[in-house]
Amino acid sequence: MGTYMQKHQGHWLLFALTALLCIVFGPSAFAHAIGGKDAAFVAATDGPDILPFMYLGAKHMVTGYDHLLFIVGVIFFLYRMRDVAIYVTLFSLGHSATLLAGVLMEISVNPFLVDAVIGLSVVYKAFDNLGGFKSLFGFEPNNRVAVASFGLIHGFGLATKLQALDLNENGLVTNMIGFNIGVEIGQLIALSIILAVMVLWRRTESFHRMAIAANVAILTAGFVLTEYQIAGYFNEGMV
Amino acid sequence: MADEGRMARPPSAGKVLLLTAGGLIAATLIVFGAILPAEFNQDPLGLGRITGLSRLWAPPEVELDVANSGVSLTHEYDMPFRSDTVEIPLASGDDRRRGNELEYKVRMKKGATLIYSWTVEGISNPEEFYTEFHGHTLTENEEAMTVAYYKKATGITANGTLIAPFDGVHGWYFQNQSVGPVVVKVKLSGFYDLIPCCEAGNEAGIIANVPAAEAFGPTPE
Repeated sequence: MGTYMQKHQGHWLLFALTALLCIVFGPSAFAHAIGGKDAAFVAATDGPDILPFMYLGAKHMVTGYDHLLFIVGVIFFLYRMRDVAIYVTLFSLGHSATLLAGVLMEISVNPFLVDAVIGLSVVYKAFDNLGGFKSLFGFEPNNRVAVASFGLIHGFGLATKLQALDLNENGLVTNMIGFNIGVEIGQLIALSIILAVMVLWRRTESFHRMAIAANVAILTAGFVLTEYQIAGYFNEGMV
Repeated sequence: MADEGRMARPPSAGKVLLLTAGGLIAATLIVFGAILPAEFNQDPLGLGRITGLSRLWAPPEVELDVANSGVSLTHEYDMPFRSDTVEIPLASGDDRRRGNELEYKVRMKKGATLIYSWTVEGISNPEEFYTEFHGHTLTENEEAMTVAYYKKATGITANGTLIAPFDGVHGWYFQNQSVGPVVVKVKLSGFYDLIPCCEAGNEAGIIANVPAAEAFGPTPE
């Protein structure tokens, strides 16, 4: 049993992190963006074109290892389908809000810094899965608040990818909503595969022995993503 | 509430600390040893050079606005593409009688492209070799000749391209000022014609694609 502050330290930590991110407005540079023919397609689009944008959203999610790692971390120890649904919905609400707001209100966040924090979100979740907050700091952050908060940050990441493209004002709202729906479809596709593998894995004897190693691996990957993006920020992102 | 999603029997505090620190160190090694060399051309640990990962790095690409660059970036030609190597021997600078200078040019149509690369062998001081890269129109009777100078300089090597500003002959005046004989090796590619012996632009009668010793034709006994 801790004090009120101890119990809610996690929330404040997350809110502070989110707030910090919101004030780190930098010039838009190009992180690992939607590129090549897809970027050319977006630049050529003039008017509503919802299905191709849905496809781009789904493609970005299915191939976005940072988002996928976070989802793996989130559902790692969620055994009930109801919980999976709650957490994924919270994550979706979070990233949809900032994706739409970011693009529509033209909030420009430095893509390298957002992606660095997204990397930290992966570290956070893996650390939390290992029970690190309780054992080392004596409190447990509210998982739902955490996932929703990091959802907001992932949404800024998605928004920077769209903003890096030459978006036409004509049909912007429709196309963006299309992109957002695509992101959710892509997430569902990825989630089904991850969940299927997780369910099978949990049935094996080795799961409990390997769970710690797996979360350390996720944590390490999160650190790699973070440091990679920070290196990108110092090399290319500061204009 | 909201306690779902965590490990039932988590490792001890010390172990979590150890694992997290280990993860951070491993990640840092990956970033400094592999990602920085391959993605950002930085090699703080020297591993990029040893592993060859540094070779993956390439300068960032800057896309040119083709429509507004003011230059036509592509040219297509009816004539065939060709490549030639020309070896031009020049006597020493104080041996004017045997020829320490000559002109070698090729025929080009207006807008045609020539890619060239030449080096002088047998010389050490770049100041002792002089070239005039130029072109002129071919005229008959008293007609005025248009001349264009692309570059006048000393130096013993040059690589580049020329887009001919008019129909005519385009090439080099070479002058050896050093104390020994030299050979100028000229590599040409593009859309041009060689000039036959002794016509305007190849007055010296240089033969292309033969060794320097045969550049002036079979040596008379």
